[in-house]
Amino acid sequence: MKKTGYLHDSMYLLHDTGPYHPEMADRLTAIYKGIEKAGLLDQLTLIPAIRADIKWIETVHTSEYIRRFEEVCLSGNRTFDYPDNQMCTDTYETAFLAAGGVLDVCRRVMTGEIDNAFCAVRPPGHHAEQNEAMGFCYLNNVAIATRYLQMEHGIKRVGVVDFDVHHGNGTQHIFEKDPTVFYYSIHQHPSFTFPGTGREFEKGEDEGQGYTLNSVVLPGQGDDVYQKMIQRDLLPAFERFKPEIILVSTGFDGHMDDDMSDVNLTTKGYSWIMETIVKLGGLYAKGRVISVLEGGYCLDRLGELAENHVRILLNG
Amino acid sequence: MFVSQSMVSKVITIDKDASVFEAQEKMASNGIRHLPIVNSEDILIGIITDRDIRSTMPYRLIKETGSAKEREKLAGLKVKDIMTQDPQTIDLTYTIQDALLMIQKKKVGAFPVVDDNGKLKGILSIRDLLRAFINVLGIGEPGTLVGIEVTERVGQLKKIVDAVTEENISLGSVLVARTWDEGKRAVFPYLLTNNVVRIKKKLSDLGYKLIDPMKWSLDRIPKKP
Repeated sequence: MKKTGYLHDSMYLLHDTGPYHPEMADRLTAIYKGIEKAGLLDQLTLIPAIRADIKWIETVHTSEYIRRFEEVCLSGNRTFDYPDNQMCTDTYETAFLAAGGVLDVCRRVMTGEIDNAFCAVRPPGHHAEQNEAMGFCYLNNVAIATRYLQMEHGIKRVGVVDFDVHHGNGTQHIFEKDPTVFYYSIHQHPSFTFPGTGREFEKGEDEGQGYTLNSVVLPGQGDDVYQKMIQRDLLPAFERFKPEIILVSTGFDGHMDDDMSDVNLTTKGYSWIMETIVKLGGLYAKGRVISVLEGGYCLDRLGELAENHVRILLNG
Repeated sequence: MFVSQSMVSKVITIDKDASVFEAQEKMASNGIRHLPIVNSEDILIGIITDRDIRSTMPYRLIKETGSAKEREKLAGLKVKDIMTQDPQTIDLTYTIQDALLMIQKKKVGAFPVVDDNGKLKGILSIRDLLRAFINVLGIGEPGTLVGIEVTERVGQLKKIVDAVTEENISLGSVLVARTWDEGKRAVFPYLLTNNVVRIKKKLSDLGYKLIDPMKWSLDRIPKKP
């Protein structure tokens, strides 16, 4: 059995998105309860949040943006950049704790303390652009972790797999000119859902051409299409790229019971996706797979989805 | 919405006495397909397109199989020999809608834009119209499209917009499909949000039918009876 880290902290509940917002603190509670109920807590290494050093945030976001985020947050403003991004005065700190927690998990994986991990953080990150908050995201946790791994631990090739049902525009744009980061995303077709990017013809820019890959799923499609596309697109791409570590943007919002999307993944389908990624981690990345939570809003399903997710990491 | 706001004002032109080869190179290096020709007073006298050139001299053919004499003859060809004289133009006061309809009707790729004296002021191509259309669709901004079937009756759109406003959601655009089932319209608000769960439920509760995304259509070609 693998040594699997579980980044979990009640501090992540402090980011309050107000009433009727899908990205709510209860999501993390549902995830924790699912893992607890399955009796898996004893087998996991629980990791608490720590605050990120701003120098790592600045490897992705501009100083101007970070300052603006802090000012808007502390001024008591309830939204930032778009009305979607509901926040409270704790949001800025919580976002630093989310990014910092993920960095600490990366450190632990790189020093061999743990093999792989699931980071149940809020706020999520993959929509956050270098200079703009978007789609409930403020700091791009996965992008910051990527830069940290490269600069602090000498990792040359980072593979990012994003299976949130929405395209991770932020992550793609941050790395689209960079051949040292392969960004693969599978999501609902952008003409049918937020944010409207991640079209099949977006394949990276300049030096990074060929290091971005998008698979698009149509409304109503589910497990079999995901399997077909991941086998057709992701497997050969990673065989060529050979990532030294895999970061996963995990979104459970493609589940058939999650009404944030029109695609119909089942709980079993989600397990297949994660098993496949963990296999790729074993093949190319010495088993180093770090999963970071993005979306997933169906409170009745998050428990079982998270349970299966960490079980697959444990079985690595 | 005058074309003067969407056209390219710094027009790349070519001299009527330039060689056709020169014209070809100018198009390739600038990534364009139309070169207007003006006289010394900036008055438009013609236009040459990549298509004119290709139909005059199928490049690969002459390069590989043409005789020396043939090649020489083609090399001597000048822009004025093959340009379209007095091409179809549009005025600065034409609107985007005029241009869209004209391009469809005349089946050309670009219009030189001229002032009252015939002086070249700009060029408007299909590419500029596409950009304008993308702007109007609002798809450059992050958002979510929702498809709603409504009965063709006054006030339907107001109710939808009111519901969207109550949810504190900004509208990127509202598209209306002109052809739908008898007595119905399909309305597609582009909502600048990731969070459409509540608005969808609200619209359903108001009695609207949300259209299955796989059946969405912005440009359904009307069925012939």
